[in-house]
Amino acid sequence: MKPKADLSISHDDMPPLAAVQRWFQSVVSHPDGVDAGIESDDAQAIVRLTRDELELMITRSSKVSARDRISIYANAYYARLIECLGESFPILKRTLGEDVFNGFAFGYLQEYPSRSYTLGRLGDHFPRYLDETRPDRDEANLADSNPAVDWPDFLIDLATLEWTIDQVFDGLGIESSQTLQMEDLIDIAPERWPQMRLTVAPCLRLLRLHYPVNEYYSAVRKAGDDVEVETPGPQECFLVVTRRDFIVRRHEITAAQYELLQSLAQGHPVETAIAAAAQVSDLDDSALAMQLRQWFAIWARSQFFVAIK
Amino acid sequence: MGLPRLGHANLGLGVGLRSAHFPHILEKWPAVDWFEVISENFMDSHGRPRHVLNQIAERYPIVMHGVSLSIGSTDPLDRDYLKRLKSLAQEVKPAWISDHICWTGVASRNTHDLLPVPFTEQTLRHVIERVRHVQDVLERPFVLENPSSYVQFRGSTMSEWEFVTRLAEESGCGLLLDVNNVYVSSFNHEMDPAEFIRSIPHDRIVQFHLAGHTNYVTHLIDTHDNHVIDPVWELYRQAHQLTGGVSTLLEWDANIPPFEVVHNEVLKAKQFMSQRLPAVAVTTELGNEVGSTVSHGREDAAWVPHPLHRVAAEVE
Repeated sequence: MKPKADLSISHDDMPPLAAVQRWFQSVVSHPDGVDAGIESDDAQAIVRLTRDELELMITRSSKVSARDRISIYANAYYARLIECLGESFPILKRTLGEDVFNGFAFGYLQEYPSRSYTLGRLGDHFPRYLDETRPDRDEANLADSNPAVDWPDFLIDLATLEWTIDQVFDGLGIESSQTLQMEDLIDIAPERWPQMRLTVAPCLRLLRLHYPVNEYYSAVRKAGDDVEVETPGPQECFLVVTRRDFIVRRHEITAAQYELLQSLAQGHPVETAIAAAAQVSDLDDSALAMQLRQWFAIWARSQFFVAIK
Repeated sequence: MGLPRLGHANLGLGVGLRSAHFPHILEKWPAVDWFEVISENFMDSHGRPRHVLNQIAERYPIVMHGVSLSIGSTDPLDRDYLKRLKSLAQEVKPAWISDHICWTGVASRNTHDLLPVPFTEQTLRHVIERVRHVQDVLERPFVLENPSSYVQFRGSTMSEWEFVTRLAEESGCGLLLDVNNVYVSSFNHEMDPAEFIRSIPHDRIVQFHLAGHTNYVTHLIDTHDNHVIDPVWELYRQAHQLTGGVSTLLEWDANIPPFEVVHNEVLKAKQFMSQRLPAVAVTTELGNEVGSTVSHGREDAAWVPHPLHRVAAEVE
């Protein structure tokens, strides 16, 4: 049997750099603080060190113990990243209140620690985390269809909207490229329309939400810090989030418009996209056809499309 | 003794570019000598931040300062990160690229903190090899900064300044001497900050950093949220004399005041450049801390050490 590696340290030697770093990270990112971190299985598997032996690794100063010194890093780890998440989800934070929001963020960082060089990706999985940890998740999974729409859905929708805004703000855009204008669309021969495919702007995102969080988002931003904004009841909401002139723009759309744009964004021809819209539209075919011209005019003005394929 | 600043230009007195100041800068085009930008805030940006940087880079000298290279980590260097860093440099054309003598995470994780390395032969060899690789990839002047630290490893076999000196001389990189970090670390580790500044190779110092910190009585934390305190200015004066003057940059990252306040803070450096007064001993005793934030609690987020950098979205 292979003997176990000696993980203990003494005054005279120091573990290899890789072990020191894995141990240090394990200790300072432990959710229950450095004492629990030092004694955790993860840390012990790297360096066998008790709390009382910490000074074999970290020296004390005349004023601060080794434990308190390493705690500076441990305290900063969660505080820094929780603050950063709060800046990405300001309306969600205000809705939940700081303590509750920070509690979610604390749990999230344990489940999804940052693996990116940029803080810009820190919240990538936050809406998913809220969904995974929703209290009614098990019940929702049991239901064959129409799982309960409730407070967690509102929070997940709000988080999804805020993260989408964040990504659209700094992602690829159309500021230095041509977009399709209504004149470009008018010039197209009618017989070409059915098979035509349109490339949507790279910054355009389509959201289908259970709650009217867009309206709520605007109301909270407009309201003063002390003004409480009532949270809305469930109501399906469709949204385009895009960017023009480096500012994020939000457009509320109907279910039919959502289906049409979604189909176009997936690369389907206009004919297929219109069929998808017709399936959810209350309008008959001729009324829908009348509407389409208006929709495309608005969308061209809003720079939703960049090219005809 | 080589060329001062390794032959690089003295850019003068600069300010760290922060998004809170974008509107002011774009409207006033202030008479700042140069700007330092946080590389990670711009390397993936296709929106407003990059658009603003492109305009600023047309008018001012730029230096790219990173917080995620993790040169001291035992994880492999992030090739994708280096590729993006190089790509940004090709467009922005910085005078040099800098980062910190630290590690930010292992096991593919990023703590987004500047974590301390033990000062050992093993660490030194490891970091030198990685610096050489980074220099080969970037093909631009590369400079490393001494971070503030809050712990020391029992296993360290050399002082920080010996480590810094050997790292710079053996790898060929330049040094970004953060004068405030020297003061903070010296206070925390009960060392002589002036000895640090006297002991490192002055011809390899390409840039200085200045910033404020927070005093927790028993220790200091590098919070970049206030004015530069007098003992740090005194260290700066000494460093200026020893180097003959190098590009100087003020960082202000929390409770960010109007641009003019930040700019005026770095302009104070002129007083310390012109003085020919005999050196004053700098001690890191409490009581020297005039002007710094003194805090006895951790009730706010201001105690979180640098770095904390994010650009907030603009939404209609």
